[in-house]
Amino acid sequence: MYTIKQLFKSTFFAALAITAVSCSKDKGVASVSTGTETYALGVGITDASNNTVNYVVQASNLMTGTISATSGSTNNPQLQTGYRDYSFGGGTFYSVGGLGVSDATAYTLDASGKLSGKTGLTFDLPNTDLVNVDGTTMIGGSFPTGPTVSANAQLYTLNIAGNTITNKVTVPMNSLFPTNTDWTFYTGMVVSGSQLFQTFYPVNASTYETLHTDTNYVAVYSYPALALQKVIKDTRTGPSGAFGTRSGIIKTDAGDVYTISNSSFANGYSQSTKPAGILKIAAGTTVFDPAYFFNTDTAPNGGKIAHAKYISGNLIFVEITTTAPTLADRWGDKNLQMAIVDLSKQTITPVSGSPVFSGNGGRSFDALVDNGKVYTAITVNGVTNIYQVDVATATVTKGAIVSGTFVGGMARLK
Amino acid sequence: MTARYLPLKFSFSNVSLSIFIALLLFNLSGYAQDTKGTISGKVQNNDYEPVENATVYLKGRPGKTTTNQAGEFSLSAAAGNYELIISIVGYKKETVKVHLLQGVTTSITPLLLSGSNDMNEVKIGGKSQNKQIKELPFNVNIVDTKQLYNNSSDINQVLNRTSGVRVREDGGVGSNFTFSLNGFSGKQVKFFLDGIPMDNFGSSLTLNNFPVNMAERVEVYKGVTPIGLGADALGGAVNIVTRNNPNYMDVSYGYGSFNTHKATFNAAYTNAKTGFTIRANAFYNYSDNDYKVDVSPINLITGQTEPEQEVKRFHDGYKSGTAQVEVGVTGKKYADKLLIGLIASGNDKDVQTGVTMEQVFGARTTRSASVIPTLKYKKADLFVKGLDVSLYSAYNMSVNRFIDTTRLKYNWLQQTIPTSTAELLRTQLKNKDNEELTTANIAYRINEHHAISYNYTLSDFTRKSSDLEDPNNVTYTYPQNLTKQIMGLAWQTDYKRFTATLFSKLYLLDANSFEQKGLTVADGYKQTSTNTSNTGYGAAVAYYILTGLQAKASYEHTYRLPDPTELLGDGLYVRRNSDLKPENSNNLNLGALYTLPLNSDHKIGIEANFIYRNAQNFIRLDQAQAQPIDRQYVNVGKVRTTGVEGEIKYAWADKIFASVNATYQNIIDKQQFITNSNLTGDNVTQNFYYNYRLPNIPYLFGNADIGTLLHNTWGKGNTLGLNYSLNYVEKYYLTPSGFGVNNTDDIPTQVSHNVSANYALSQGKYNITLECRDFTNNKLYDNYLLQKPGRSVFIKLRYFISK
Repeated sequence: MYTIKQLFKSTFFAALAITAVSCSKDKGVASVSTGTETYALGVGITDASNNTVNYVVQASNLMTGTISATSGSTNNPQLQTGYRDYSFGGGTFYSVGGLGVSDATAYTLDASGKLSGKTGLTFDLPNTDLVNVDGTTMIGGSFPTGPTVSANAQLYTLNIAGNTITNKVTVPMNSLFPTNTDWTFYTGMVVSGSQLFQTFYPVNASTYETLHTDTNYVAVYSYPALALQKVIKDTRTGPSGAFGTRSGIIKTDAGDVYTISNSSFANGYSQSTKPAGILKIAAGTTVFDPAYFFNTDTAPNGGKIAHAKYISGNLIFVEITTTAPTLADRWGDKNLQMAIVDLSKQTITPVSGSPVFSGNGGRSFDALVDNGKVYTAITVNGVTNIYQVDVATATVTKGAIVSGTFVGGMARLK
Repeated sequence: MTARYLPLKFSFSNVSLSIFIALLLFNLSGYAQDTKGTISGKVQNNDYEPVENATVYLKGRPGKTTTNQAGEFSLSAAAGNYELIISIVGYKKETVKVHLLQGVTTSITPLLLSGSNDMNEVKIGGKSQNKQIKELPFNVNIVDTKQLYNNSSDINQVLNRTSGVRVREDGGVGSNFTFSLNGFSGKQVKFFLDGIPMDNFGSSLTLNNFPVNMAERVEVYKGVTPIGLGADALGGAVNIVTRNNPNYMDVSYGYGSFNTHKATFNAAYTNAKTGFTIRANAFYNYSDNDYKVDVSPINLITGQTEPEQEVKRFHDGYKSGTAQVEVGVTGKKYADKLLIGLIASGNDKDVQTGVTMEQVFGARTTRSASVIPTLKYKKADLFVKGLDVSLYSAYNMSVNRFIDTTRLKYNWLQQTIPTSTAELLRTQLKNKDNEELTTANIAYRINEHHAISYNYTLSDFTRKSSDLEDPNNVTYTYPQNLTKQIMGLAWQTDYKRFTATLFSKLYLLDANSFEQKGLTVADGYKQTSTNTSNTGYGAAVAYYILTGLQAKASYEHTYRLPDPTELLGDGLYVRRNSDLKPENSNNLNLGALYTLPLNSDHKIGIEANFIYRNAQNFIRLDQAQAQPIDRQYVNVGKVRTTGVEGEIKYAWADKIFASVNATYQNIIDKQQFITNSNLTGDNVTQNFYYNYRLPNIPYLFGNADIGTLLHNTWGKGNTLGLNYSLNYVEKYYLTPSGFGVNNTDDIPTQVSHNVSANYALSQGKYNITLECRDFTNNKLYDNYLLQKPGRSVFIKLRYFISK
């Protein structure tokens, strides 16, 4: 009897030990990739049914190894529900989206250098964009995708530290472009001085036909009050930006604002009636500078700028078409290469060694400017890599592999 | 005619029911006439082998006959009540009460003779109808709904207790649901009402509305579907067989938690002399569905999410009503059955939440109405003996509406703020569906061992959409049309212990839609059409290895054609995908049934099945991330399922009943590379989920039941029944597991305990039932962040008479 009891006991504890071991193995707290630098990336993984699951991951090195969202990876992957847009401001990486309700998850690093998300902030309407103003404040915009969604857009001021909305303003959509046939799609906004500048393009909300490609439109709002003051127009280019992009407008260190127009078939336009080009709104003014027009179609190494990110010193990092898109390329966002545009000199310098690629479909442009380099993720032949562009030499180095279908956003947290 | 001959015939739902009618007729008194009637049947031993040379006669009547090689006999005599006597050396002499009808050949189900040393009485009717279908070589669950007439369940809830089946509901009574069978779900599983496809019958005529009282039984065919159900079913089919008693009335009313009311009325009258038949079914469901849920309300002013709290659902009311009447004749020379009928149905439903409970609505509603005339014709031995035909036809006219016109945004605390357009998306969408459905079956018995059969099913579906709020939307300008034809040819053979069938199916699809002519809207739109033709095939065998132990194997290479919504969209939630291909699958079932009569009081039945499914171009709803309510059906690629399911049943002396079943299904994404052809060209990307389990599908679940019947409680002929049941579903995840750390997107493990007590008076004429579902009030979820009702109680009163 005693031996049986003993046997039972030992078996029981052995089983317990095995269970404990296997448990700890299952839950295995993978070491998290921390270092002197920490980057946050929004990684989308699309399955065979075209269903994308998004993860925010962290990495200490963008140039070597593999960045992965698997639970055992060192990248501390954080599952995001629904479609996600990404923004960065005040040391905070925002992942905005959700299943039905649009909410903002604000990621920072905790004391141990791991991603820590703050949730709870939601938006009345699906959020379209969040733009950093000064590191303490973000401006958010909810621009409805059609008249059945809402007749009004909303602009709001977001306090980064509190993750709270401090001001909310309603903008009737038909005050931007009065028409009963067309709608307008948002393509970007920046704050310069006491103004918020927002670009958009007129479009039929159900057919996506674009019949108004002769004019560039910029809505001018007061800042910080966010009251619509006027819509300024210029007919040297078509509208700024394009469907599903936030690259219609950028601001330089000096406060000059530049609009970037492509009217490109490959980015959803159904017609193209003006050259692709860049216009300027000088710092402190609310009018187009009649003296500045940079025709990117005709410039050497030119084309249509699909995606753009301001670097510094009047330089922008762009993804620009290598061949003129035709109507058959509509929605393709393809034949792109990396280039550096000098707004002052009006030059386009192709990045040496750049592959030719297609846009990744994400609305946020994932380019990250850091220490004289620009990082972006590009998928070539089914493999996604980080590419590091040296701004000074306009050369590219292939970096880490990303085990994901695309990278929606990238930021440096430390 | 004998049931034993035609395994295939059981797929012709109603054909086989004639046996039931015949059996029930025995119990009817009166109608004795001078003219002659005939009785025919079959005699078997305990091994279900035919008994040859048995003497069969009617007590007190001259004339005897003997059974033939197949164990069959036929006797004629003046109409009236008799005792049928069967005797043969080596077996116990048996007596069965029968009733002969004038001018009618009454078939009775096989009679089982016990060995001479066995003192058991003959089992009248031998195997039940359900047992006979169960013994077909197909992998089939038979739910005998008759045992459930006192309970408040709908068909969904009943099927959810069977192996391989998961019904996932968004909420309470009338809520949207997904029916999944061995991991196949949505349109991959086909539904039939008495053999008529009911996929497009409108939301008021679905499994979450049908009360159990309406059905005689429900057949669930897994993976391999007999040709008689003319279906392009990838994963199987469910056939609801409505009650076929010739003379009866069954009325019930129930009331329960969340202000739920359920009323049913079922009745039939058959004039034995003239054959005039009228049948009626009606039911009504109502519920406020105001059960409590745990949510984090959103402050509409600040946009901040508040701490989790318990709130009542406030905009989830549901009501539905259906009436079905059939009139015609039965038991005529030219028709065993000829009935014309009409189904009228409607429902009204509030929409409380979006894809998850985070999104809450206070005014969106949906409505549906359907009117469906039907025709049913069936004749055995038409022109020549052995030639059976049936024809079922229906014309479905349904209107489905979706309304969102309230300019308010709600939160869970029922606070509102004004909006400029609608709650979410302004719409008054109206989908008008018209569908012609015809199913014809012809079966011919070549001889006692061989039969062939042919099935033809036609469905012609047209949808017209309109939206007052969006009148110029081009997508509503053209009607959508889809014609499906499915033909099946089968051969089946039946020997003593061996049954087999071989079949082939031809699937024809003709879809009409429209698309933009050129690259811009200005180029206009044109009609487009798609034609596809696919051939499927399969086989099924069953063999009695030992007495009571049957082994089964079945295989089918099957196609499932896209349905109109998948191909052409529903105009609101689902976008059209004209590139959609039919999905196909190789389905294999291996199983065994073992019935163990330990002694006369204890009975054990064991069933185990192995399932294998290899599906390609799986059609799956794609929840587009960019716009969560804008979905599209796409071809997912390759999915492989292996699974096991088993059931054990035990009964003791008609007093205690217990059963337990479990299902495990391993559904794996086998698509290694994803190729999508779009405007950027052919893109090949790695599928990072290759070899991972498909997310958001339950993979381990089971049910257990135990019940007792206390006969003659508080009076002779009164029975008290007590029942306990348990449902279990293992936790699973919304997104692929193996990605992300500490993911919270799980659908938690669910355990619900249910109890019921039923008291039946006067041999079941009056019934009162009290039920409590989820009595421990566990939080239940079928879908991510969509809480289902917890504890609920229900009382049901039922009156039943049958002549």
